[in-house]
Amino acid sequence: MNAKAKGIDYSDYPTLTIAQSKEAAAQLLTLDGNGKPVSNDMLVKINAFYNREARLLDNDRLDDWYDMLADDLFYWLPLRENRFRRDKRPEISPDNMAMFDETKLDIAVRIGRFNSNMVWTEDPATRHVYMISNLEAFETDVEGEYEVHSVFTQYRNRSDRDDATLMGRRRDIIRAKGDSFELSRRLILLQQSVLLTKNLTVFF
Amino acid sequence: MKQTAMEYVDWERGRVDRRIFWEQDIYERELERIFARSWLFVGHESQLEKPGSFLTTYMGEDSVIVSRGDDMEVRVFLNSCPHRGNRVCFADSGESRSFTCNYHGWAFGMDGGLKKMPKMGLYKNTPGFKFADWGLKRARVESYKGLIFANFDEEAPSLGDWLGDFRWYLDAVLDVEEGGTEFIDGGATRSVMDCNWKFPADNFVGDIYHALWTHLGGAEPTLGRHGGVIVENEDSWHFSVNGHGLESNNSFYGNAATIGDREILRYMRSREEAITKRLGEFRTKMWGAVASSTIFPNFSFLPGYFTFRTYQPKGPHKTEIHAWTLVPKNMPEEIKDRFRRGSMRTFSPSGILEMDDGENWEYSTLANAGYVTRNQNLCYELSPAEPMTDGALPGIVHEGQLSDANQRLFYKRWAEIMDADSWADVPMAEQSKPVEREDEFRGPVGASS
Repeated sequence: MNAKAKGIDYSDYPTLTIAQSKEAAAQLLTLDGNGKPVSNDMLVKINAFYNREARLLDNDRLDDWYDMLADDLFYWLPLRENRFRRDKRPEISPDNMAMFDETKLDIAVRIGRFNSNMVWTEDPATRHVYMISNLEAFETDVEGEYEVHSVFTQYRNRSDRDDATLMGRRRDIIRAKGDSFELSRRLILLQQSVLLTKNLTVFF
Repeated sequence: MKQTAMEYVDWERGRVDRRIFWEQDIYERELERIFARSWLFVGHESQLEKPGSFLTTYMGEDSVIVSRGDDMEVRVFLNSCPHRGNRVCFADSGESRSFTCNYHGWAFGMDGGLKKMPKMGLYKNTPGFKFADWGLKRARVESYKGLIFANFDEEAPSLGDWLGDFRWYLDAVLDVEEGGTEFIDGGATRSVMDCNWKFPADNFVGDIYHALWTHLGGAEPTLGRHGGVIVENEDSWHFSVNGHGLESNNSFYGNAATIGDREILRYMRSREEAITKRLGEFRTKMWGAVASSTIFPNFSFLPGYFTFRTYQPKGPHKTEIHAWTLVPKNMPEEIKDRFRRGSMRTFSPSGILEMDDGENWEYSTLANAGYVTRNQNLCYELSPAEPMTDGALPGIVHEGQLSDANQRLFYKRWAEIMDADSWADVPMAEQSKPVEREDEFRGPVGASS
């Protein structure tokens, strides 16, 4: 990606149709660790992929992180609501309002915002640290695609005493690519129904 | 605090005392004088379609239940059990036949009335105890074109008088199509900011000026190739009625363009002729224009993105934003979905534009911890034009959207209501006539209509 945002024409960037996004969302909702667990060797490789991703995001290397995303990326952080247990509605549905409901194109636009060098609320920069844990990986029906569950803690700090900690779960589909992987689907589940911080100028 | 709130607001010169954004006793007075007496937005009728459906929200810091009864009437009552005070309903929304307090099991009907409790015979044998005395406290409820408002003050004027001629402007987003509007499903997007509630309300009532600087980065990916953020004082206005305000130009989809979705713009163009027949050219040009609005005190929206939101006060230095996306019911489902994503990507906690706003409002508030700092005035002097006097448009109208005119009138209204011991002391703008859909106003002089 071109680091100089001015004048980028996003019309040819990879994206999904609305139907493809909804299908991807529906697939993510079914992921429940039912496949065959991957081998220990594979788990080590997958773990390295996630550690690298966290390091790139911590170090603001967003263009490099973008290169870890598959062209058919669907990236989703739906809202949570407090509902009675007896409530019959699905807690999360592909039609829900969301904080992120993105294709690769939409991620490019967000990175274009950062790269404009005119985002005053990120200057001085925010400091991040991501911790990824509880990693579980399973084989899927598709050769070379893996279902991965993980837990994250995302801490950030800026200015003097302005900080936020977000914790949540992720469900991913990653795909083998060269010696490593690319991210094809991601469901991010925050546990807060009211986001207890002012914004999400972050990726998960 | 000082003798009167008006001593903090020199609205004619455009100076506002910073202590109104900081001090606890002023905030307590706001809860009493403003939030307990104003018409406050509590929900959209589309959120409560079935009998038995309910949602919970806030009026000021008072937690309330909004429910639709079997008689289809919408009622609003305090979400606090009169027995020991516990919250009665902990769900954000749902369907129910009754609300039962977790503490001692007192149960209330969908009308808020006390129905039963464990060991009910003991109460029935208690001299003087009456069920009718212990229902959940009700608020008045009125609605305007799908938007439900409630008010805890029996003496307050009607919602119609409260909104007055501002309804004529609201119709530019609420009445563009046959069949009314709805909130897109899936709940409110909620987040907190460490700011005083008046900063976001003041921003939406008239401050497009900030977009020229705050949103340069956020607008770059979608507008950069088209010349960036453009706001001018030609063909743009500030409209104010009873403290409610709308600032707008006549660009038709200036706001919508920053979503960066060509299908949305194509759809809007396809509707322009029909909407013009319905609303006239002047208001049609505001449907998705570079524009923002606040309905006094804390309910705001943006044409073009169609985000509607309340700024819920949570203390003088904390605000909770609850946001929804409003669309015409008969809009094609695919376009609704594009607006769902479009409003999220621009104006939500992850939105490329809203992400720029929060820190500004937080530090405009938190700076006032300093004693010397909060004893300064803020500058609301920008107002290059006198109000228009030809009566061509309802309310108080200033030409030019780069202005503090609406903000000054917002704070004037704030002080009037803070200082009023009764509603007789609150001036209400004269209504030109019952506001109907048809163009009753000529539009600005020189504009074709």
